[in-house]
Amino acid sequence: MNKEKFNIVGKPVVRQDGYSKVTGKAKYADDYQFDGELYGIMVRTNVSHAIIKGIDFSSIENHPSITAIITHLDIGGSKKVGPIKQDQPIFCFEKIVTPGDVVAMLVGENEVVLKELAKKVKIDLEELPVLEDTSTALASDSILIHPQYNSNLITHYPLRRGNVEKGFKQSDEIIEQTYTTQLIEHAYIEPECVTAIPGEGNIRIKIIGSIQNPFTTRRVVASVLSCGLNEVEVIQAELGGSFGGKDDTMNILSARAAVAALKLNRPVKIKYDREESIIESYKRHPYILNYKIGFNKDGKIKAMKIDLLADGGAYSSMSPFVTWRSVVQATGPYQVPNVYTDVRVVYTNNPYTGAMRGFGSPQPIFAIESMMDEIALKVGKTPFEIRKINGFKQGSVTASGQKLSGHEVTLHKVLKKATDVSSFNKKWNENKNSAQRVDDSPKSFMNESLVLKKNDFIPPDNLWKKGIGLALSYRGCSLGAEGIDAAATYVSIQPDGTVYLLSGLAENGQGLKTTFSIVAAEVLGISPEKIIYLEPNTSRVPDSGPTVASRATLMGGGATKNACEELKNRLSKILLKEWKLKSASDLIFANGIVVYKGKRPKKISFDELIKTAYSKGVNLSTIGWYSGPKVHWEEETGHGSAYFTYVYGCQVAEVSVNVGTGEVYINNIWAVHDAGKVINLLGAEGQIYGGTTQGAGYGLWEKISTHNGKIRENNFDQFLIPTSKDIDAIHPFFVEGKDKFGAWGGKSLGEPTLELTAAAIANAITNATGKRFFNLPINIEELLLRKKLYPESLKRGSTS
Amino acid sequence: MIPVKEILLPETVDEVCRLLQDTNGLSKIIAGGTDIIPGFHIESPRFVNIERLIDINNIDELKSVSVTEDYISIGSAISFSEIISNPVINEKLPLLVKASRTIGSTQIRNRATLGGNFINNAPCADSVAPLLVYDAEIKIKSIAAEKIMKLQDFLVKPYRTRLMSDEIVTQIIVPNPPAKLIGDFYKLGRRRAVSISRISLAILLDVNNGFINEMRIASGAVTPIGTRFYDVEEFFKGRILDDELIKDIAIKLGERIMEVSGVRWSSEYKIPVVQQVCYQLIKGIERRSL
Repeated sequence: MNKEKFNIVGKPVVRQDGYSKVTGKAKYADDYQFDGELYGIMVRTNVSHAIIKGIDFSSIENHPSITAIITHLDIGGSKKVGPIKQDQPIFCFEKIVTPGDVVAMLVGENEVVLKELAKKVKIDLEELPVLEDTSTALASDSILIHPQYNSNLITHYPLRRGNVEKGFKQSDEIIEQTYTTQLIEHAYIEPECVTAIPGEGNIRIKIIGSIQNPFTTRRVVASVLSCGLNEVEVIQAELGGSFGGKDDTMNILSARAAVAALKLNRPVKIKYDREESIIESYKRHPYILNYKIGFNKDGKIKAMKIDLLADGGAYSSMSPFVTWRSVVQATGPYQVPNVYTDVRVVYTNNPYTGAMRGFGSPQPIFAIESMMDEIALKVGKTPFEIRKINGFKQGSVTASGQKLSGHEVTLHKVLKKATDVSSFNKKWNENKNSAQRVDDSPKSFMNESLVLKKNDFIPPDNLWKKGIGLALSYRGCSLGAEGIDAAATYVSIQPDGTVYLLSGLAENGQGLKTTFSIVAAEVLGISPEKIIYLEPNTSRVPDSGPTVASRATLMGGGATKNACEELKNRLSKILLKEWKLKSASDLIFANGIVVYKGKRPKKISFDELIKTAYSKGVNLSTIGWYSGPKVHWEEETGHGSAYFTYVYGCQVAEVSVNVGTGEVYINNIWAVHDAGKVINLLGAEGQIYGGTTQGAGYGLWEKISTHNGKIRENNFDQFLIPTSKDIDAIHPFFVEGKDKFGAWGGKSLGEPTLELTAAAIANAITNATGKRFFNLPINIEELLLRKKLYPESLKRGSTS
Repeated sequence: MIPVKEILLPETVDEVCRLLQDTNGLSKIIAGGTDIIPGFHIESPRFVNIERLIDINNIDELKSVSVTEDYISIGSAISFSEIISNPVINEKLPLLVKASRTIGSTQIRNRATLGGNFINNAPCADSVAPLLVYDAEIKIKSIAAEKIMKLQDFLVKPYRTRLMSDEIVTQIIVPNPPAKLIGDFYKLGRRRAVSISRISLAILLDVNNGFINEMRIASGAVTPIGTRFYDVEEFFKGRILDDELIKDIAIKLGERIMEVSGVRWSSEYKIPVVQQVCYQLIKGIERRSL
């Protein structure tokens, strides 16, 4: 299949929406304005956990700037929503469970005045103890966040394979270690914004916003309004970044705006500033990861006992799905005969956690890839060798008992390529020999007085240490056993040969409009420039599920290809008749021309052919459908064919560590990914540049910390994402493994690029310093002191 | 939100002084705005009740650099980008240029000004430590008077200076540093750009035949305000600069910073690291002076 010759697929194509975005012409959610528009401003409390006894609006309700005060009493349908468990109120009315919670929305024309008035609402609260520590959430005496569930447990996934105790007995060595990962924010550049407009005709409400999953938003809004799905129209504005973050929050904001707009019969806009965005939006799950691994002297792994505990925060959101991916992939891409895994996710009063690029994989990858290097050191092998010994091969069986077949298992190819292009083995050995292995306990090298001793000073030539590290993964594509997996693309060829394209999946900045246009252009043999991608609108195209799980290219690419092949068939039939041919297989659609390469060659321009088709009344519009094959999962044992296909990736990071200050500089990242067939080379490389940078931020800088449940880092002066000055060269490489799924085997890339980087950096730091780091992010304090330092209060110097 | 009702654009310093005179502290001078504008948005108590902004960007005198035999005079509204590209400042005050390059991002350096960096006396102001080791003085004007003050004396405590509400800082005056003084500056941030200093340190040294003829050390971020360490400097004057002594200097500095700052949440990291940074800086200077 991959031997097929391509005209456009695999070449670098500039993204369709690029020009309008860099010139400022693109219309983002806040660029939409409507006559009579009002603003919605949120009323929050100052607590993390409390029972709401009453809300008193009397001091503000007659203020001339207030058009309406919206609370749960205005909701006719569902007062609580959630993708799996309906535990999150649109407006809180029973309890406050986290500081982002909203009890009411003030609506009016003047945002500035409304923001002042919001502070004056008197909320009668009975404060409750705050549950911040995940590890105590399941204790029998722990306070319950949502008492109706009788437990703080959101979900528990076990996975049992073989006999783990027997496996440990048969092992020559056992290592047991605990790792932790932190809470982080998506940090999309555009904060949340949405406008709800009362509908005309039979449409009740129209929503335009910075929305990642328009069909999910539609479902939530319809449920809150208690109306039909077809009465809610959701339009996606150009999206200024999402990374999985514009789902639940945007659905709830859309519902709030819709309730207010219908009550007042006027458009209502909600737009958040950065602080509000960080306070209310969901984040990536922090994990506590305990791994016990038994292995033989030759490096072969015999058994793994894995215990993962994730912080779901105040609401369940996507937690059950996020942690399910963790249970599938927890052993890493390694053959392990005996596995005993438990993954639990719990409620706390912390900011709630949900979908974020990576989705339950960056956390276990950090732990397992660190452990693999530890095993390598123990048995005297290199990180490359230990992975070569244990890594999945064609036909290997995963922890859940799934045989890896039906696609090319390229794990060893990506591993070899990544270590070759980075000269990994040579550099790793050199660095290791110059860095002494240090198994220090926290603080041991600092004396109590904080003043250095003379032998603490580091000779200048030893100040900067080089290190190189790698990380390897396999990843299930698309939703897997999470749910129904299908997608649609609408294609319509116009009488002049130009084309409309619209998919039920959403352009979230990943470049899907361009990718799908390339697929369509390749099949129809025309230039991608003849294709216009229509405005995403839930009324115009079938629900194709959410745009998540790196599934757009795979599922939507497949749907686009199917649609275009159907149209191509209709066109071929015309030519078979016109040219009196027997088979369409000799017809070649390319470069805007259709050619017959038989004994008596013929050709016709694509535009001319379209004219002919229209003159004959042929339907040149269709909806292509693509659905994944069935997968299954047994909840009690963790057995099943979790995903219908997989991708493989290996990243190598080379860093310089200042062992005097704890600063880390990233000199190189080599990222080798098998995403299947690459559709747009430029877009694919872009995914690698962005994903590795985001992954580096996870490894070294990004962290949301809380103080009694309240967020310290509520803007980008405190929440630090990497800049272009923190990373030098990123080198993208693709290994195109063969697959039957998607468009020519084009699979997943967005999340694989991110999930490996922090683990590769952590291993590089160990290679440089001789020290293993267990807690992300490895910031300057973690590197020197093995801990994080925080101010005692939330106050900052400049504001006190 | 920006509470300001009017923004004025005076053409001369005298005009600024007059404008500052006839209000009751409701006016604030704005140059780059990189402190004030975000300050408004976070409702900083430093910027409440400001009704009028006096924009000094149209006053050429406040952007000029002049040199005499004795000193360099720099207009307070010079931007950091202008400092970085100014040949005279590059030649005479390399530590100030090095510090300027570490500030914010290109966009911020295009707006942010030298005067604005220390006028709020934030502990993390990156230009302060270099200005202190260069013995910088500042010229202050009001409608009634003009005075010159040492920068160190101007800086009182965090977010407090000796500036009166009717005064404007017009010039930063730096005595021409003796050519024998060579030095270095280090800023430690959590990342390499758009980063608030955790530690900054500026050191100037004049080593003569292996002896310390003169040493100047100033810190930022690790002390409550930018601070010169005259006593440490004096203590080591005339001593032979060798590895042992450099360690002694770094240890002494660490002890002094502990005394000045007390033990804070960040001390466990900052105190050992500032000593390490001090040691590394002097080792580097030592290498260059051989």
